[in-house]
Parts: sequence; C-alpha cells; structure tokens
Amino acid sequence: MSWTWFHRFGSPPHVYRLARTLTPWFAWPAALLMLAGLYGGLVLAPPDYQQGEGFRMIYVHVPTAYLSIMIYTTMGVAAAVGLIWRMKVAHAVAASCAPIGASFTVAALATGSLFGRPMWGTYWEWDPRLTSELLLLFLYLGYMGLRSAFDDVQRADRASALLAVVGLVDVPIVHYSVTWWNSLHQAPSLLRFGRPTIYTASMLVPLLIMILGFTLYFVAILLMRLRGEVLRRERAASWVREALAS
Amino acid sequence: MTALMHFLAMGGYARFLWPCYGITFAVVFLNIYWARRLNARARTEAKRRLATRQEEVVYE
Repeated sequence: MSWTWFHRFGSPPHVYRLARTLTPWFAWPAALLMLAGLYGGLVLAPPDYQQGEGFRMIYVHVPTAYLSIMIYTTMGVAAAVGLIWRMKVAHAVAASCAPIGASFTVAALATGSLFGRPMWGTYWEWDPRLTSELLLLFLYLGYMGLRSAFDDVQRADRASALLAVVGLVDVPIVHYSVTWWNSLHQAPSLLRFGRPTIYTASMLVPLLIMILGFTLYFVAILLMRLRGEVLRRERAASWVREALAS
Repeated sequence: MTALMHFLAMGGYARFLWPCYGITFAVVFLNIYWARRLNARARTEAKRRLATRQEEVVYE
C-alpha cells in the first residue's frame, strides 16, 4: 500500500492550498444546515410533554456540548500524531483546535446553566457532568496558556501536545459521567444502546441536522485557522511567496 | 402579531431560551472573526519576513 497520500498531509504547501480549496465546501453546507436546524427546532418541533417550549434549548446546548468534546478529541489525537511522527502540520491542527474548542466549552457551560435554572432550579451544581465539563475548559485554557509561554514554536508544540494527550482522559469522563455516577444531568439522549430517548422524528431530525451543521462549521473554521497556523510556522519557505501572491 | 409574540414568549421560557441561542451564535460568529484575524495577521507577518529577507539579499 502506498503511503504517499499520508505524506502529502505532512507537506505545509499542500495543506495550505487544500485548506483554502475545501473551506467553502464545508462553510456553505454548514450555514444551510444550521438555518434548517433552527427552523426545525424553533418552529417545526412540537413542545415537549414535560419541559414545554423550554426543551428547544437542546438544539443549541447539545451541539455546543458535543463540539466541546469532539474538538478536544481531535486536538488530542492531532497532538499525539505530532508527537509520534514529528509532523508539524499535526501540531498546527492541534493548535488551531484549542481556541475553537474552548469557546464552545464556554457556550456549552453557559447554555447548560441557562437550561438548568428552569429545569433543575439551579444555574450550577457540582455535579459530575458539569464538573468534568468545567475541567475540560481548564484543559483547553491550560493548553493555550502553555503554548503562549514559549517563544519557540517547536518547543511550544511538544510541551502543549503532552498536556493535550494526557487531558484526553477527561473525554470519556465527560461522556460517561451521567452513566457512572448519580447525576442531576439527564442520561445521553442519542448515543446510547437501543433507541434514543427522543422518539418523535420532528424533534430528533432538527437535532441531528444541527449536530451535522455544527460539525461542518467546525471543520470550516479549523481549515481557516490551519492556514494561518501553517503560514506562521513557515520561515523562509519559497512557497509562502507564491501563497501570498494569490 | 400575536402569533409572533406567542413565538417569542416561548411558553414563559424566553428569558432562558433566547440568551441560550444568543450566546451560541455569538460564539459561532466570533470564531469566524477570530479565524479571519489570525489569517490576516499571519499573512502580514509572512510578508514582513519575506521583505526583510529580500533586503538582506540586496545588501550582501
């Protein structure tokens, strides 16, 4: 089997050009899916039999919470690839993920807090799910802080990658916290064995559309940031002149 | 008009639900802005580096 395709992803000029070409192919479908998901979630879906109209908060809370752990996983895996194969582009991917992931963790915590007040009667509780999600935010901030502490990009890459990989341990804790411990937070609605707890298609479909839309949106933002990160790392490369001219 | 008011009231959950959507889409748009700013800065820095290198070549 030829590994040339894999090696191409290690080539900064190839990645820079590929990222620029692919961005609109993720951005526009993401925008359309988000609009469709908003319409489905806010207008088409019927009110919940227990939570009434308030349940519509899941259409932003679930996608942001899902992104917070999905982006961390992407960051941790990219950091591991960067450490193992000494791949500059993989470190650039990890570095690009961090601010996006951190901002969506803040969104997940904030929307969760607003969801919690009317449903549980409190904005915050030191509950396993909430606490492990807060730890995830600190991991992102620690990763970003550690990176900025080094002037040398390569040393920043290696040190922060170790933290990102070790922090991966929090991802299953966030996901399974509601199953392992007696949590105030409800059990997973979608990712569980058997049938999801949301049965009605008119409730479930907008949620799935939103999750897909937010995933494509993340890829688009990641590709945009990746171009900047790759360019920053390239000292004195002749392709940079070409890339800047176009 | 009453239909719109009814929709905006969200069965009494308006003061929790709309900030939820507001925060989420603020983060969505902020990330677009931050990514564009990062790219613009990286391009400016790269251009400056290239210009400095050219000068070095001229004076050698």
